[in-house]
Amino acid sequence: MKKYAFNEITPMQYTLILFGTQVGTGVLALPRVLAEKSGTDGWISIILAWALNSVAGLLILSLFKRYPDDTMPDLLVRLFGKWLGKLILLPLLAYFAFFSWTSLVRGLLYVKAWFLPKTPDYIVMLLLTVPVFMVVRNGLRVQARYSEIVFYMTMWMPFFLLFLLSRGHWIHMLPLFKEGWWPIVKALPTTLLSFLGIEVLYVLHPFLQKKQYAVHGFMIANGMTGLLYLLVVIVCYVYFSPDAITLYNQPVLSLLKEIEFRFLERFDMVFLALYLLVISRSWVPYIFSTVFCASQLLGKQDHAVPAVCYMIATIVLVFLIHPTWNESDMWVQYQLYAAPFLVYLLPLILYLYVRGLEAFRGRQTP
Amino acid sequence: MDEDNNLLVSASSPVFSREAEIKEESFQVQTLTLRQSRDEFDKLFTAFPSAGKVQFILIGKRVLEHPDWFPLLDVFFRDPRNSVKARVAMVDGSAYDVVRFLPSNKPRLPLYLTKLFDTAYRRNLTVKTSLRELQRQIFERGMTPSISKLRKDDNLIVTGTALLDKKGKYALSIGSEETKLLRVLQDETQGEFSFTMTYPDKAQGGLFHLGSFSFSAPAISVKTKAGYADNKFKFDVKIHMRAVLTERHFYDIDIRREGAKLERVIEQQMKARFEKLIGKVQAAKIDPFGYGLYARAYAYKPWKTVQDRWGEAFSEASVNVNVKVTIGAMGAIQ
Repeated sequence: MKKYAFNEITPMQYTLILFGTQVGTGVLALPRVLAEKSGTDGWISIILAWALNSVAGLLILSLFKRYPDDTMPDLLVRLFGKWLGKLILLPLLAYFAFFSWTSLVRGLLYVKAWFLPKTPDYIVMLLLTVPVFMVVRNGLRVQARYSEIVFYMTMWMPFFLLFLLSRGHWIHMLPLFKEGWWPIVKALPTTLLSFLGIEVLYVLHPFLQKKQYAVHGFMIANGMTGLLYLLVVIVCYVYFSPDAITLYNQPVLSLLKEIEFRFLERFDMVFLALYLLVISRSWVPYIFSTVFCASQLLGKQDHAVPAVCYMIATIVLVFLIHPTWNESDMWVQYQLYAAPFLVYLLPLILYLYVRGLEAFRGRQTP
Repeated sequence: MDEDNNLLVSASSPVFSREAEIKEESFQVQTLTLRQSRDEFDKLFTAFPSAGKVQFILIGKRVLEHPDWFPLLDVFFRDPRNSVKARVAMVDGSAYDVVRFLPSNKPRLPLYLTKLFDTAYRRNLTVKTSLRELQRQIFERGMTPSISKLRKDDNLIVTGTALLDKKGKYALSIGSEETKLLRVLQDETQGEFSFTMTYPDKAQGGLFHLGSFSFSAPAISVKTKAGYADNKFKFDVKIHMRAVLTERHFYDIDIRREGAKLERVIEQQMKARFEKLIGKVQAAKIDPFGYGLYARAYAYKPWKTVQDRWGEAFSEASVNVNVKVTIGAMGAIQ
């Protein structure tokens, strides 16, 4: 029985959705966050986080390989029954909803700080969520196409940073392992957070047309994310002094201010405006995961109604709370506490449970 | 800054109006901060002053003679709408004199200044320190800032580079000849480098300096190594220049056969010049070259102990400069 046959996505789309989910607003501040913890050795943390994340993703995939037609909600119900399964689904739903919310708020704050400082925040939120909703209310295939086209439209962006490498000071990178391994390990949790996004695999996997490419697609997406982060972080470290980089809240944006052409000043504004596409590409799968889990919880097939409710809720919340940068930082901190359980521990437990179940049944049947 | 140490901010702005006779207006106000000065300017200027369009920041020498003036510029970095590409320069004298300078044979002041400094920078007669670069040089513990310097007589003249100490206080001035050397030691060898020297034992006292010759150095490679021994830092700087002769006033040396002789002369004189500059800078307890970066990279442990007083530590360091010159071309005539 193939429940999701109607909305199948190609391996290419699958890869690009994953990549798009991982890369959002986090990368703009990543060099500073890393530098605060581990100085110019921060890029080593990226490699470690990339490796850890690959392992976690492979674990999730090997779990779903056993149930190729199940999403996480289906799987939970299958394993634990209707009530217990849905109960376990609740924290996951909350996690997706909260993650979508924080990343929407991040986007909102960027837009407000850099383009529209005088527009009320709920209006900005409205302007941001309407187009996102238009994508999300459709099936996954439409969203996958959106990820794909945004990828093609924005793939030139990282290369612009290379312009600055010629003006950099490579001497900043030495010596390696300045203070030994400890600061590098200390930076790992935050680095892992910027690799998050693999949890959409929970929802994505059964939609993939050719399941044999699930691992390849994941490794490519994760690898692209890792390379992108490495590039961004190294360019920032080489360009900014290691003593000054922690000064910039979003070093990447400060860096972009430096790029100027004879015919175009303030290129950073153009860049950030286009970067909104990239940010929206990470919102879409998260919001979809949220509303998908919600509709599964309620036993509905259609996810358009939860999507509308979610959008309206965010706008109302923004209107009521008027989020600030500090609050948003705090929420990201919460995410940091929740993520290891739901992204790394949950699949591990499920995997062990399934293997245990198999071994148990194996002993019973012969 | 005025006699009573009040901060004075002045600004010049183009006037885009067909009816205006003079296409530029400039005012001076007394304030506590730059952002406050904007309000004051708003009362004076016909247009809407906006810091995103600032081209040039001129700082009077009197301000620079006090430490800790750098936080005044905070507004340029904090407000994302502001540009950080504006150039920073020190005025030997009053900055307002430059701001209200209205020469009839020059374009508008912002254009004039930018052009003036761009061309001087291309020949490495001064440095090009943008706001962002200045921020880097102030916060980077391994180096001290250097900014352009100008003076107003009847005209505006670029007079080289002002070297500041770690707190931004004015420490030392170097001329345009020395700025070239500074740029080489910083390993910033873009642009044109032209040096003029006197060949020893050639007609010295003549009216037309017949012992002189010039060369440009289109390719300079600088290799800096740092080490730590006997409680002080040691720097080994290897400079390899390709020289292209551009003029000489004497013809009795055959460069085809005796080129090596000329190369040795250039090497000796360059080395002496570099060492003189380094000595001067060390005496002022600053490090505009950024040798602290190398100290951090190659001798991290000892660096950690002195990183907050690097200027002092550098003044005790020994710097060994080694110049090697290859004459790459002698030009179209012998």
